[in-house]
Amino acid sequence: MANDPIHQFHITKLVPIEIGGLDFSFTNSSLFMVATVAAAGAFLYMTTASRGLVPSRLQSITEMSYEFVASMLRDAAGSQGMRFFPLVFSLFMFVLVANLLGMFPYFFTVTSHIIVTFALALLVIGTVVVYGFWKHGLGFLKLFVPEGVPGVLIPLVVAIEVISFLSRPISLSVRLFANMLAGHITLKVFAGFVTSLSAMGVVGVAGAILPLLMTIALTGLEFLVAFLQAYVFAVLTCMYLNDALHPSH
Amino acid sequence: MADRSSGNGGGEPRGQADDDLARRRRDLDAAIAARRSEKVDEVAGADRGGKANWGHALRLSSEFISAIVVGAALGWFIDRGLGSSPWGLIGFLLLGFAAGVLNVMRATGQVAEFGRRTDRTED
Amino acid sequence: MEAEAAKAIGAGIACLGMGGAGIGLGHIFGNYLAGALRNPSAADGQFGRLIFGFAVTEALGIFSLLIALLLLFT
Repeated sequence: MANDPIHQFHITKLVPIEIGGLDFSFTNSSLFMVATVAAAGAFLYMTTASRGLVPSRLQSITEMSYEFVASMLRDAAGSQGMRFFPLVFSLFMFVLVANLLGMFPYFFTVTSHIIVTFALALLVIGTVVVYGFWKHGLGFLKLFVPEGVPGVLIPLVVAIEVISFLSRPISLSVRLFANMLAGHITLKVFAGFVTSLSAMGVVGVAGAILPLLMTIALTGLEFLVAFLQAYVFAVLTCMYLNDALHPSH
Repeated sequence: MADRSSGNGGGEPRGQADDDLARRRRDLDAAIAARRSEKVDEVAGADRGGKANWGHALRLSSEFISAIVVGAALGWFIDRGLGSSPWGLIGFLLLGFAAGVLNVMRATGQVAEFGRRTDRTED
Repeated sequence: MEAEAAKAIGAGIACLGMGGAGIGLGHIFGNYLAGALRNPSAADGQFGRLIFGFAVTEALGIFSLLIALLLLFT
């Protein structure tokens, strides 16, 4: 069915690989992840290859994205946080380029699958937990015990704080996934209205103008959402890394 | 400032002039600081009105719901493990609700971030 | 199978309670916004009470969610 809005998210195996009973196939999702990394890497490398003192347009885009992420990280986690700059910058560029690549017609949107975004969120939270314990030892657990709480309430407060901490990877991944999925489904549904209405003859073609305009507007909105979600993901990553750096003040 | 220095110039020239200089430098520092913070605030405010506001709005609902989902899932698994059938789910769903409200308050800046007091001291 | 169907229907009915919580939240935020537009300088001071009202109202919605979950998963 041509108008099925879910069809764009189907994963198809391009190169079936099976190792030890586990499915390691190279799918269209993997293909677009490779394309995302290749596009982002090639763009950053080629634009900074000449390294003019006065930047060209493309080079200034690269420098702007560097400055953007660097100032975000420095604001949220202080200058100590700059050791995580490679992680945050890679995450930001990966999510941003994956979202933007997904806006091309017939392209697969990597970030519209929850397992991909959840893996990214787990990477962030895993970094926070591992680095926090490595740096502060058991002192990292002070994160869950706010100061100035009466002794009776401590078990309750700790339980609430732990749930609040555990909810972070969920909210981080679900937000990105849900926004991309919902946006692409909405686009596809409105585009489907255009084709099915215009198949109905002259009146249908006249009526199809409205959903067409809607589709155009939604495309613009989707570009905004693609950038915003990458931005939100990176900002929250910075804030969580800040907890690993300074668990208690 | 100018009339003050000229008016008091006769009494005790050295000490008075030093005092005056120190006071004027302090005034200038204060004025510069006031100007600078005003400017920074203005820039931050303009930024907040744009993309950051959008990001905030998108954040809140997912923060709230995810805490409830995590609480319910934890309670369900605890029930399955310990066989304490409905009570784990009930208790942890309510705890998850509390955590969700806490998340929302953190996201809106009502409560300090994790383990941090509102009157933050420099680290 | 009959009991399963009854449970599912009961869970669906229990979820209606969350609609009431939704109406209440709409009232709270709408009235806060109306008040904040009349007197913007006082709005920030009342934000804590807004969150308090939100929490109390939403707690009642959570109870009906709890009933639905209990019906479905126990």
